[in-house]
Amino acid sequence: MATPPRNIVVVGNGIAGLTAADTLRAGGFDGDLTIVGAEGRPAYSRPALSKALLRSDADLASHELPPPDHGATELLGRAAAALDPGRRVLMLDDGSELGYDGLVIASGSRARRLGTLPDELVLRTLDDAMRLRERITSRPDLVVVGGGPLGMEVASGALQAGCRVTLVTNEPPMERQLGTHLGETITETALARGLTLIVTPAARVVDRGGRSVAELADGRLIEADLLLTAVGDIPNTEWLAGSGLPSGGALPVDSRGRLRPDIVAAGDVAAVPTAAGHARSPIWHSAIEQARVAAAALLRGDASSELHARPYFWTEQFDLDLRVAGRTPLVGEPEVIDGDVGAPEGPALLRWRHDDGTATAVALNYRIPIPRLRRLCEASAVV
Amino acid sequence: MRIELDRPRCEGHGLCEEAAPDLMHLDDYSDLVIDVPEVEGEALERARAAVRACPVAALRLV
Repeated sequence: MATPPRNIVVVGNGIAGLTAADTLRAGGFDGDLTIVGAEGRPAYSRPALSKALLRSDADLASHELPPPDHGATELLGRAAAALDPGRRVLMLDDGSELGYDGLVIASGSRARRLGTLPDELVLRTLDDAMRLRERITSRPDLVVVGGGPLGMEVASGALQAGCRVTLVTNEPPMERQLGTHLGETITETALARGLTLIVTPAARVVDRGGRSVAELADGRLIEADLLLTAVGDIPNTEWLAGSGLPSGGALPVDSRGRLRPDIVAAGDVAAVPTAAGHARSPIWHSAIEQARVAAAALLRGDASSELHARPYFWTEQFDLDLRVAGRTPLVGEPEVIDGDVGAPEGPALLRWRHDDGTATAVALNYRIPIPRLRRLCEASAVV
Repeated sequence: MRIELDRPRCEGHGLCEEAAPDLMHLDDYSDLVIDVPEVEGEALERARAAVRACPVAALRLV
């Protein structure tokens, strides 16, 4: 960029938008900074919503983040509605306009829904989490559709709260993310804790008398007091329709998070370059990594660092604590670095080697400093 | 400013150490050790990044 920006607008007040704003300030940007957040509340920790916050003995502040110190003008409760990149103007849903000379798009994503009725619960926002938390206190029967980390964490939390939980999924739980070895371990543990599991090729959510009901591939209906779907998320890019930027899907950015020299994107809305093409990585740590890179690119252009993604995520379900450093999915059997192979619930330190010389390391109920777990992912790593 | 740790909240994800390895580290038991609690200047910026990266808000700057 010829001249550094003096007026930057960040669309999105989640961890990506917040990290971008912090990084801009840390990088010396002292111009006008505005953050637009669709939810009318301060940013919070999304990973906590399906973990700590669902526990019956939860610390109800476990999602709260330290207050921001980026000094930005915060426009909360207002969403981006349209963009004119030629005039460099952002339109908001209240009809107001914001000019910019640098734009960070971190508008996140929303839960994908399977049905059309309002009684279908999802878990995406803090409001969703508080609603679910309140609903499970009366110990209803719950059907969860979706066998990924979110569906399994919700099922685990609801079981612990005393609900009867049936999980409906189109593939064995967690296998798409963590492969058959860990998927089977998790499934066995979940069943032993009392989860009812139904694997069916194509679950649907149908309207039966004004209520959302899960329907299996064979037509059988699974009735319960509550139904929650956890079947992925959809990037919030519809507001970019007509802007000339991609809309209705993820935003494919370059290795520095850029869509154009004056527009960057980060977090759940962005698809970053990988060896297998552009891909989203909708997890906490990736949002932070991407936002740091994107903010730096807005200030320093090609002189800034490219993204070197080091994925890390964790999940807590059915008394299993899994920390995963390196890329997924995981295929085949792991190398057991430490732990007892005869104890499926661990503690165990496992590693999967990939063809490109990198590896993915997993700590299963195993205490290890995460920087050490990460080092196990690097080529030719030794313990 | 001073980095404060809310130890019961810390889950040992180590994202803070990644952001500010000169200021804090996880020991062999995955317990966080704040090596440099009082920060200013450039170290303060790294401390801010460490505080921000924590998914369980176990760190604060006071």
